[in-house]
Amino acid sequence: MLSTFPILWLTFRQFAAGRATRVVAFFAATPLVFALVYLFNSGDVTANVFLAGVFNQFLAPTIVPLATLILATGTLGNELSDRTIVYLVIKPVSTWRIVIEKFVGTFVVTGIAFIIGVFLTWLLVAMGPEMPKSSALPALLISSLIGVAAYGAVFLFVSLVIPRALLVGVIYILLWESLLARFIPGIRVLSIRHFIQSIFVHLLNDSSVTLPQATQLTSAVIVLVIVVIVSIILAALRLRQMNLD
Amino acid sequence: MKSNSRDQRGLDLKLDGAPVPISARSTEQTNGSSEDRLPVTTVEVDHLSKWYGDVVAVADVSFAIGPGVTGLLGPNGAGKSSILKVLSGLLKPSSGAVRVFGVPVRADTQLYRRIGVVPEQETVYPFLTGREYVRWNAALQHLPDRDAATERAIQMADLGDAANRRIGGYSKGMRQRIKVAAALVHDPDVLILDEPLTGTDPVQRVHLIKLIHDLGASGKTVFVSSHVLYEIERIAERIIVIVDGKLAAVGDFHAIREKIDEHARTIRVKATDNRALASLLIGAPQVTAIRFDTEHDALIIEADDVRAVYRMVPRLARDRGIRLIEIAALDDSLASVFAYVTKR
Repeated sequence: MLSTFPILWLTFRQFAAGRATRVVAFFAATPLVFALVYLFNSGDVTANVFLAGVFNQFLAPTIVPLATLILATGTLGNELSDRTIVYLVIKPVSTWRIVIEKFVGTFVVTGIAFIIGVFLTWLLVAMGPEMPKSSALPALLISSLIGVAAYGAVFLFVSLVIPRALLVGVIYILLWESLLARFIPGIRVLSIRHFIQSIFVHLLNDSSVTLPQATQLTSAVIVLVIVVIVSIILAALRLRQMNLD
Repeated sequence: MKSNSRDQRGLDLKLDGAPVPISARSTEQTNGSSEDRLPVTTVEVDHLSKWYGDVVAVADVSFAIGPGVTGLLGPNGAGKSSILKVLSGLLKPSSGAVRVFGVPVRADTQLYRRIGVVPEQETVYPFLTGREYVRWNAALQHLPDRDAATERAIQMADLGDAANRRIGGYSKGMRQRIKVAAALVHDPDVLILDEPLTGTDPVQRVHLIKLIHDLGASGKTVFVSSHVLYEIERIAERIIVIVDGKLAAVGDFHAIREKIDEHARTIRVKATDNRALASLLIGAPQVTAIRFDTEHDALIIEADDVRAVYRMVPRLARDRGIRLIEIAALDDSLASVFAYVTKR
């Protein structure tokens, strides 16, 4: 990998050496606590409704964005703060490649953490009194990964624009994605969370699980793909224009 | 456009016009003719200015350099790093242009296949070993035989077994050397070195100076900055002096050095018998004034030819059985030297 994707290789080494990856793994494992509680005391809540609740109320608005924020703002943000970014930009490598490989590194590491966390959560729920629908696991995994991609691209761009991107990102997640977008209908459609939840609900395809003002599956996917592409373009342009003093 | 004032020893002062090809001038001086060897300009700085808000770091600086070692000299805060960062493509010029091989540096990243940069900042990825870091640089340079290039660069930087250790455990001098190895891995034609000797121990310093010399002698353009006059003296024959963001002098180091030596300078000499030593020095033609420094229990000697005084004082002291405790140049700081050069 070092020879083919040197920036991606470096990104993995950075994540492996830092504490941030462990924090992300911790975040990705938090749904397991709810699954354990459900396993021992499911009450009359169906497995699908429980998993939908975990995703819509916990993973999508808070855990996925927070975990992604940590690595996405660190992957280039830390290089800016300790000025090692200099070693990347004085090479015959385009800013597109730098940003894309950094994005992919963030997506892969955060994504793997959520694949493991979500799968184990599903497994614990499946060990309970009722088996979830077959669509539950793909819905959880795909929606989480799309969320990681969307938030990852946005926060990576933000880290090149705002010096305290982590703090700003936490405020944005807690204030906008978790609070305002949940209760104010007009804001809802302006949040990444809404589109992730829409994708999840459509993929789950369970009439007992609904989402107010849910966006069509195709539309939600297109919106999030555009978010990713635009964020990466803006990040590459920003990096190209930056003065690295 | 002002014309350049130039004396017979190859010293240009107060250059405000078009880029001055140092390499071209040196070629003419060395060979006596410029017709058989065309001047080669690899790096060109054209009316470069760089400011940060209201602070002007570099003010309308123009010069051009070619193969060989050229030193960029100036006191701390003079604007050296700003010039090198613009040259490296890390900063955008506020006005003017910088070109390497005729190409604006920030216009094409492929230019970095021909440029090696040792930046000023110290932090290098601490979780990588030195060898991994150099090999990573080789991969970014798309080199065909990355292992061979890595080993060659590590050998050139004289890192030896330290290359297998994590950079996080390196001394400052070793970090400088691993940065040099990384900059050399693709065998660049132009090297930009920002204070490469900072933090190096004497042995490392000697090795790096020799390496820089050899690279310059092999036809590469080496542009190296320092705020230490004696460091530059050992590295570069040609220098560019920057003071307060402006070009103060350009030319052959020895010519500038001679100019500096013409300037009366002050030396403090501390000996076991200051009065006896003073009586010996009073008649010396190179000495213009002597006074006693009661605070330091020393002599303050003002001299026209400071080098002659440096040679004379130990000889006189030895002949009279006086033991010298200290000889220190009081106004030999780079700032005072630059102040003198700038006033010219």
